[in-house]
Amino acid sequence: MNITLNDTRLAELSFAHLPLLERLRSQNLAARAEVCIERARWITSSLRASASVVPALPMATRYSGAVRDFLSNKQPVFPDDNLLAGTTTSKPFGAPVYPELTGVTIWPELDTISTRRKNPQKMAQGDADELNLEIFPYWLEESILEATRKREGNPPEMRLFEKIVFFLAGKAGAISHTVPCYRIALERGVQWLIDEARRLGSTTTGDQALFYDSMATALEGIVAYAANLSAEADRLAARESDPEKKRNYASMAEVCARVPAQPAGTFREAINSLWLLQIAIHAENINMAVSPGRLDQILYPWYRRDIDGGALSVKEAVELVGCLWLKLNDNTNLVPETAEELFGGAGTVPAVTLGGVDAEGEDAVNDLTYVMLRVTELLKTRDPSVNARFHPEKNSVVYLRRVAEVIKNSRSVPALYNDQAAVATLTGQGVAIDHARDYAIIGCVELSASGRSYDASSSIMLNLVAALEMTLYNGKRPVTGDAQIGPMSGDPTRFTSFAEFESAFKTQLSWLIGEAVKLNEKLGKTHQQKMPTPLLSALFEGPMASGRDLIFGGALYNASGATHIGFADTVDSLSAIEQVVFIEGKYTMADLLRGLAGNFSGSARAMGAWLANRAPKYGTDHPAAIRNSANLIRFLFDTYQNHTNYRGGRYRPAFWTMTNHAGQGKLAGALPSGRLAHTVFASGITPVSQAAKDLTTCLNRVGGLDPRLIPGGEAFNMKMVPVNSDEDFDRFAGYIQGYFAAGGLHIQFNLMDYAMLMDAKEHPDNYPDLLVRVSGYSAYFRDLNDAMKDEILIRTAYDTASGQALPLPDMPLPPSPSPVSGEVSLVVNPVLKLALGKFEQCLLNELADDFLELLLDGMKLAFLLDGEYRRNIKGFSGRYLFRSVDRSVTVATLFAGGKMKVVDGEIDNPHVTLIFKDGRAVMKFLLSGNPDILGSMLRQEITPEGNLNYLYKFAYMARRLQLMATGKL
Amino acid sequence: MRTLPLIFHIRRGAMDDGPGIRTTVFFKGCPLSCAWCHNPEAISPLPELMVDQDRCLDDDCRSCAQSCDNATGNCTACASCVAACPTLARQVIGQTMAIDELCRLILADRHFYRASGGGVTLSGGEPTMHHDYVTTLLRIMKEEGVGTALQTCGYFDTTRFCDEMLANLDLIYFDLKLADGNLHRIHTGRDNALILKNLAMLAAIAKERLVVRVPLVPGITATENNLSAIASIVRDLGIARWELLPYNPGGLHKRRKLGKRLPRGVAEIPMGRDEEQAFRELFSRSLRILESIDKIRRQSCRSTFITQ
Repeated sequence: MNITLNDTRLAELSFAHLPLLERLRSQNLAARAEVCIERARWITSSLRASASVVPALPMATRYSGAVRDFLSNKQPVFPDDNLLAGTTTSKPFGAPVYPELTGVTIWPELDTISTRRKNPQKMAQGDADELNLEIFPYWLEESILEATRKREGNPPEMRLFEKIVFFLAGKAGAISHTVPCYRIALERGVQWLIDEARRLGSTTTGDQALFYDSMATALEGIVAYAANLSAEADRLAARESDPEKKRNYASMAEVCARVPAQPAGTFREAINSLWLLQIAIHAENINMAVSPGRLDQILYPWYRRDIDGGALSVKEAVELVGCLWLKLNDNTNLVPETAEELFGGAGTVPAVTLGGVDAEGEDAVNDLTYVMLRVTELLKTRDPSVNARFHPEKNSVVYLRRVAEVIKNSRSVPALYNDQAAVATLTGQGVAIDHARDYAIIGCVELSASGRSYDASSSIMLNLVAALEMTLYNGKRPVTGDAQIGPMSGDPTRFTSFAEFESAFKTQLSWLIGEAVKLNEKLGKTHQQKMPTPLLSALFEGPMASGRDLIFGGALYNASGATHIGFADTVDSLSAIEQVVFIEGKYTMADLLRGLAGNFSGSARAMGAWLANRAPKYGTDHPAAIRNSANLIRFLFDTYQNHTNYRGGRYRPAFWTMTNHAGQGKLAGALPSGRLAHTVFASGITPVSQAAKDLTTCLNRVGGLDPRLIPGGEAFNMKMVPVNSDEDFDRFAGYIQGYFAAGGLHIQFNLMDYAMLMDAKEHPDNYPDLLVRVSGYSAYFRDLNDAMKDEILIRTAYDTASGQALPLPDMPLPPSPSPVSGEVSLVVNPVLKLALGKFEQCLLNELADDFLELLLDGMKLAFLLDGEYRRNIKGFSGRYLFRSVDRSVTVATLFAGGKMKVVDGEIDNPHVTLIFKDGRAVMKFLLSGNPDILGSMLRQEITPEGNLNYLYKFAYMARRLQLMATGKL
Repeated sequence: MRTLPLIFHIRRGAMDDGPGIRTTVFFKGCPLSCAWCHNPEAISPLPELMVDQDRCLDDDCRSCAQSCDNATGNCTACASCVAACPTLARQVIGQTMAIDELCRLILADRHFYRASGGGVTLSGGEPTMHHDYVTTLLRIMKEEGVGTALQTCGYFDTTRFCDEMLANLDLIYFDLKLADGNLHRIHTGRDNALILKNLAMLAAIAKERLVVRVPLVPGITATENNLSAIASIVRDLGIARWELLPYNPGGLHKRRKLGKRLPRGVAEIPMGRDEEQAFRELFSRSLRILESIDKIRRQSCRSTFITQ
């Protein structure tokens, strides 16, 4: 590609010359998340209305109608001076609600989400009431998870998922994770797509005709939204006195009057059209990893034409791209507090992909690539997640060095991909070569034949350590106690060879994969029934031609992604068992199990140290480590590729972990690798901290894993001390080239040392915008939970001067200063307050034995005396059963006809049953401000069975009662 | 090959030891024994036991005591305790490596050298003490197209070095510690005549591959007298590339782990940045003064000639 920029670094375009971007950036950094219920409101009311139509309407019709209703009623707002029109939500930095998926999990927190300590999300009281009384009740039986449970009779694999520590089923929360095709809509306009769908609809019948109709319906919503934006911008322009702002409103009014309905004429129109399409996708699909793809390729024709024609300057292009980057950062996920503990800090990860080769395999780096690199370097925002492709033979070293320089200046972005490896990996999955060359990154690190392959790359997140522990304990795990979870694969103390152990491990792993796949298939079927995706289908290659929705396999290619937690810890444990138990005979398996049980304390300290220091480690040249890492990759590949999904695609194994390696590590016992119990796992496909002492050996070993067996993608996290001089910096690029030459697929950096991260943990206010790569996505360090901060801190830092791993600092890791939570308070009717006296005493003194009884009595009283509280059960019918583990207490609560009834003993068909150890467990589970729901579930103090949405509603009512009794939460 | 030399460390992926990304091989054994030596474990050519007490598990382990066959308590360096130590607190410094094994290891990173213009650096100790092994290694590396660099104290056999090694070296880091022969003998255990001779020889025939390095040891090499004397040598020999190395007291810590007596008069803390900068300026100033003296002398020579 011909580069026409004089200076590809665009050094003269700094914030001093781009005051608008600087201002928008600081507003974005300062913005606090707010919950926006607009989408949930319109989707719910539309679906509620269409549910009662006789004869029953097909879901494709109802859902596309709901999407159109939302988009055409969506408020046109202009929260700042951004040059692009359109917002994901009605708030400057908004978290939209998707009650179809996991939105309902926020129910118990409606009163506290605004004030909770970690990453609070502001919600207006009126909105909370609307969710509680109007919106969530509709979804009690309708959310993907509960609809699946109902249809499938609460199958065992779903209960396994709900134990959290074996695998996570992504489809309960999202499919999204995809790269749409924006090119066609930009070139021809959405109106053309509508006309085409209507035309094809008129020539087909049955499901196909229905699909085309739903596609056109949903797309009409986009056109309506753009028209509303245009009208509002017109109105604002008329009122505005500042000439520059006035001009901007007028331009936006003009732009939105044309696009996305019509073909984009200018660069500005193309970029705004693309942004409106991205917004529209989120009207239908949750805002998780909907990735715009190769923007330097998609937008280039308009850029070139406008630059050559003199209609656009490079500076204006930087400004417009910067505006898009900030817009992609205008939304976040709605996250309940428990999930915040496990996965905190993530953005919505819309991935942008730059550089690499074109469909013909030639250098695709262009001027716009450099414009986008400059914007990334300047803004350093959490989203979009920027990825740079590099083809060692086709792309120039000048380009690679520029990417390396942006990494140096941002300390962490972009992430890098090896085109040779990635293209070979995708063609290995049956993707045509020109489509493979046009790949882009989804979300964290997943590879996609962009706009053509529906990959659902976050379908399964499987914990490899769970399979390993089940091998060690014959189908059980320490964290789930005595429950027989997996198959009985044999008493490991009787194994006489490593082959036997390995075979037992494969038995457990295949079984676990089978369970995860089974659940994914069931959830997929529910998505087909409940959440068709005609809008996304319109922005994809395949569905328009095939007449089939993406969710029914309408794309050119299909896949489901399964990623893995604990790869390095599992490989090191297998190698330790092979080497130390079966080859050296240093310890017997019985010794090892005793050591694990005692977490290598006391007399087993030496054993733990031996395993940690002297057993083979992944990331070194030890043959056992090389063999076991390659074998595990191969086994996972073979196993998954034998499974075909409900859309006709194959399952693809991957190795990225978001923050789950920290969370899951906290819930796992000691391991044969010498890792102590309850400590974090290594991230992604990265070796365990301090295991790989030599930098190049580490790069060679990770790069040496066959990328064709890792079709879902991998996250390799490399931490290095900052690179300073220009000369060192060229060599920094040399590490990347060497790693790619060794076969590496992906690498991402954190250029920071231990001392700096310790300081950032202790003094977060001094590092408001320190951006780190977690295990795929970027996050502000300050937003991460403590476990995750520590994991990033203890990742091996390499000293580039010596190429050696720097030893961890001796001092203990500092704690984060604990954020303060605001209190929620309520003025309560004094009579009721008096009546709730006993309940209040129980809460204040934590005398929890009678908690359940007092709670139920209190609820009854409150329903009687408080009209507002009574609204919670108006029209609600729910059947709850509470049972203590020892069965000494069995009590049912029935809601019907606006009344609450408590009966002793069993009832038939409860919506949900809560099995509890004692009153304290129930109290903690329902009320705790710092919910250790996971902990109490894992300790089996609490086991919910049945429809969780009913439980969320109940927890909301219980917390509300607490608020009424004590006056605060 | 008669006996194999001992290698005490191999660093892979280093930027410090020459251009590009490099593998650095540290050989054991050195003709000098500088009091401040940064790698005191490299001085003796024999294997040594090094103990890192901080890593030891003490009473929770005692694997070393249990493994020791020697009831008398006199260590024979049999290394059975090293084999038994679970934390790697006890290590034998110095391992032999067949030359093809070493070559394989170095060549495993050639894609990094190629990308960055790097290669292999031989360091120590003093690599030239193992003349035959190092000569063969350099020849193979040259044949394989791998860049080569040597870090030397300069105390080697001039003829053999020139005849057998020099052709296969791309870069020579030549340490010059003390200009005064007497002080050199006191602080390093050897006279510097051979070193100065070798330096002059390399300056004459391989100037473009030569980098002189002067360690800044507080109170010993980092003195005004010594630095201006070295500047004068550098100037006289017309050496274009030189480096002053910052002082790092890490060697003292290692001496402790080796169970060795600490030398007297060696600073225990790193040199302050300001002080280091002052010495750098002193050295550069000396070179500049020498340069202008030279110029004046040349001019006065010329004027003398004209007058005559």
